[in-house]
Amino acid sequence: MPDLSAKIREVVQKMLREQEVELVIGFEQGSMPLHSTPCFIRNEEDAQRLVWNSFCDNNLAKYLVKRPEKVAIVAKGCDTRAIVELIKEKQVPRDQVVIIGIPCQGMVDRRRIEAELELNEILEYEEQDNKLTLKGDGFTKTVNRDEYLYPCCQACPHKNPTTYDILIGDMVAEQAPDQYPDIAEFEAKPPEERWQYISGEVNKCIRCYACRNACPLCYCKECFVDKTHPQWIGKTTDTNDTFIFHLMRAFHLAGRCVECGACERACPMEVDIRKLNRKLAADVKELFGYEAGTSLDQIAPLATFRPDDPEEFMLGV
Amino acid sequence: MKAKVIKKDDIAGFLDSLLKEYEVFAPVKRDRLVVFDRIHSGKEAFLNYTTSITSPKEILLPQSETLFTYSSTDSAADVEVPSGEERPRLIFGIHPCDVKSLIFLDRIFNEEEYKDAYYLGRRHAMVVVSMGCIKPRATCFCTSVGGGPFSTEGSDLLLIDIGDEYIVQVISDKGEKLLGKAHLEDAGEDRLSLMKRVTQDAEASMAPKLNIDGLKEKLDKMFDDPIWDLLAEKCISCGVCTYLCPTCYCFDIVDETRNSGGERLRLWDSCQFPLFTLQASGENPRPTTKERYRQRIMHKFSYLIDNCGQIGCVGCGRCVTECPVNLDIRQVLTAISNR
Amino acid sequence: MKNPYLPTPMRIERVVVETEDKNIKTFSLSFLHKEDEANFKYVPGQFAELSVLGKGEAPFGMASSPTQTGRLEFTVNKMGLVTTELHSMEPGETIGIRGPLGNGYPVEALEGKDIVVIGGGFGFSTLRALTNFMLDKRNRSRFGDITVIYGARNPGLLLYKEELPEWAKRDDLQLYVTVDRGDEDWKGKVGVVPVIAKEAAPRADNAYALVCGPPIMIKFTLPVVQELGFSPERVLLSLEMRMKCGLGKCGRCNIGNKYVCRDGPVFTLAQLNHLPAEY
Repeated sequence: MPDLSAKIREVVQKMLREQEVELVIGFEQGSMPLHSTPCFIRNEEDAQRLVWNSFCDNNLAKYLVKRPEKVAIVAKGCDTRAIVELIKEKQVPRDQVVIIGIPCQGMVDRRRIEAELELNEILEYEEQDNKLTLKGDGFTKTVNRDEYLYPCCQACPHKNPTTYDILIGDMVAEQAPDQYPDIAEFEAKPPEERWQYISGEVNKCIRCYACRNACPLCYCKECFVDKTHPQWIGKTTDTNDTFIFHLMRAFHLAGRCVECGACERACPMEVDIRKLNRKLAADVKELFGYEAGTSLDQIAPLATFRPDDPEEFMLGV
Repeated sequence: MKAKVIKKDDIAGFLDSLLKEYEVFAPVKRDRLVVFDRIHSGKEAFLNYTTSITSPKEILLPQSETLFTYSSTDSAADVEVPSGEERPRLIFGIHPCDVKSLIFLDRIFNEEEYKDAYYLGRRHAMVVVSMGCIKPRATCFCTSVGGGPFSTEGSDLLLIDIGDEYIVQVISDKGEKLLGKAHLEDAGEDRLSLMKRVTQDAEASMAPKLNIDGLKEKLDKMFDDPIWDLLAEKCISCGVCTYLCPTCYCFDIVDETRNSGGERLRLWDSCQFPLFTLQASGENPRPTTKERYRQRIMHKFSYLIDNCGQIGCVGCGRCVTECPVNLDIRQVLTAISNR
Repeated sequence: MKNPYLPTPMRIERVVVETEDKNIKTFSLSFLHKEDEANFKYVPGQFAELSVLGKGEAPFGMASSPTQTGRLEFTVNKMGLVTTELHSMEPGETIGIRGPLGNGYPVEALEGKDIVVIGGGFGFSTLRALTNFMLDKRNRSRFGDITVIYGARNPGLLLYKEELPEWAKRDDLQLYVTVDRGDEDWKGKVGVVPVIAKEAAPRADNAYALVCGPPIMIKFTLPVVQELGFSPERVLLSLEMRMKCGLGKCGRCNIGNKYVCRDGPVFTLAQLNHLPAEY
């Protein structure tokens, strides 16, 4: 992964100096190794804090909704997809956001690395090209970055920003479009096995709603889970209620989810949240030929109606 | 203090004997995570861990708790409270920080004026066998909030890992009684010196204490300080910190229908959720993350000290490692102290 | 110790529609079991959680004085899940109650003083309970002059329409009823509560001012009351917050180191000035 930190700082400092924007949202070093954290930069001096590394995984588009000021935002491929959808849904005016697009080579799954190292806590790390060197009390381990990417990054079909105002770093080669082979494989299983897996995942959920809160496309003022009249689902961790929560949220995100993985990363219980989202993304692609966040001109299929929309659910048609 | 020794290989058997008399809760492995759960056989216990993802508070305060059931919504006279516990509970392998959270929860749910029958039903005869932390994490800060990796506060027995064996420190009579049938050897000089080395190394390895002397006094004057706008700017109000926190206990009460009747439930809730203080009129005294995050800090590090004499934090570090945006409470407390 | 989460059953005896828009009703309730009534000892200003099984609970101040035995009255504004269900209920149906909760008005401190009650809109219900408590012939002599200033947005929204004329007839009470905007039938005062309070200019020496109403009314009434000479220790307010347990445990109504449901809902202005402005 190229070290673009210096270039990002330079660009941001210039933007602030020339008063092009009032606020820049980017990443800075986190309080633990293998973490970066969102930062809000308002002056040139603070711009020195900005970094770019294999742990800039947050989807910063989350912070764009309802901003009174003009904002610049550091955005990876998936983040720009989220911004595109937010613009189309009129949550962010296009002229109020300056997209600093960064071609992304995937973010590293720190939980996987930590799990492999078990009780050996990582106290320091270094990143150089494709290598991550991890140091702790009495050990050093070097791994290849590529072998530890998040699942959503491994399959990512849009590493390059789909829309941007400024590009920092060279465009990277895109992978083949996502054919959702994992979904086809899962669907081929017998129903009992599928339900066993899904209910197993659902039973891990503690209904903390971190997935919802981390998702940039979940911006409803009143979420359906909080409505009291009518009350759509119960609030306990009952399997059925919890399953309906995940199912409904996935449906609300159909055609809008950009598969950035923010939900999975936020989940403390490591629930496989993206499975349902991916199924619906696969369906939307098949039925409507649409992929979220790739075009500012295409209206999301569930936000519009075309007379030639597929109607395979209609009998006798 | 009396100290015995038990081989790690004998732990499963010891737990099996305890299972005859107690409902035993211990850390168990679930995929990559460790959670506290009821065990039915000694070998389910997984003791080689640093922090469980969810805290043991769910043993005393489940995520959802039935306050009472009603067979029909017509008559408020016809309610039934679930029957109390039958066998006493034992928590095994809990770390001292989490034990301190139990002491804290006692101050809330077992007061002079308020005795929570549901909580006490689970807590009243509880035996606590804790485990010292020989490898504290860099994110642990128990020593900054009045705790320590080998603190015996609230425990009946404390286990300390010295290799193939555990030293068993006998803290209370309850703990002594527990060992009754196990016939453990006394820990001799050699083992005790080893224990001393292990504990000293562990204590020395902890991150430096946070300087939070005088924090409460500072906080009490800082309610309107503009620093809160900056401190909580990246917070996304997801509530993970409150759900995983061993001392967060705020709850919601809702009615849920089951057929013609239903139940009134007490559920985990979070002051970080916007709905927490939303009034029916639409007014919300804490409309943004700033007010809500400020409430979290003020409640834990000031108001609770006034109300029950204990800081609402045990330094377990769960909120630090699990916050999706790495909003680190240690950095927040330091920033406030330095103000 | 009785489980404080269990509701005690009550029967709805009478429902009075208070306002023209039918959004506010006063429910008159009786205890199903006599011993529950004997155990329910309260002072004006306290509240209870009314329980509608299947919908939930909501807090309401007691709108009737404890001197009125056999009945408990609650004035309910239809706003959410529980109140909507309550509004659809008829005499004969049962609901649950948990209480009395909260601190209530400091009746002992009020004795021997002149009392100035200033209420607006829906917040008047507990002040009405206090007024009736003081007016009761067993209690009246313990209090000095009583001034009641009560207003609503328009005549249709005035509460306790049958009771107000009875109060007006009394010579041991000075009553001012006002509306923000009158209609063709309205013959009384027109003006917002703070303005009428200023006009009425009740004396502040040896007096307490009790203020309750919507936030906007309180905002403009407090300066008037302070100008009249009431010190912050002599001004009492009743706060409204989202509440659930009513016992100071669930955390919802926490302000500073106080819980509105347990340490309040009645606070002096002096106390509120020490609390963070989060209400």
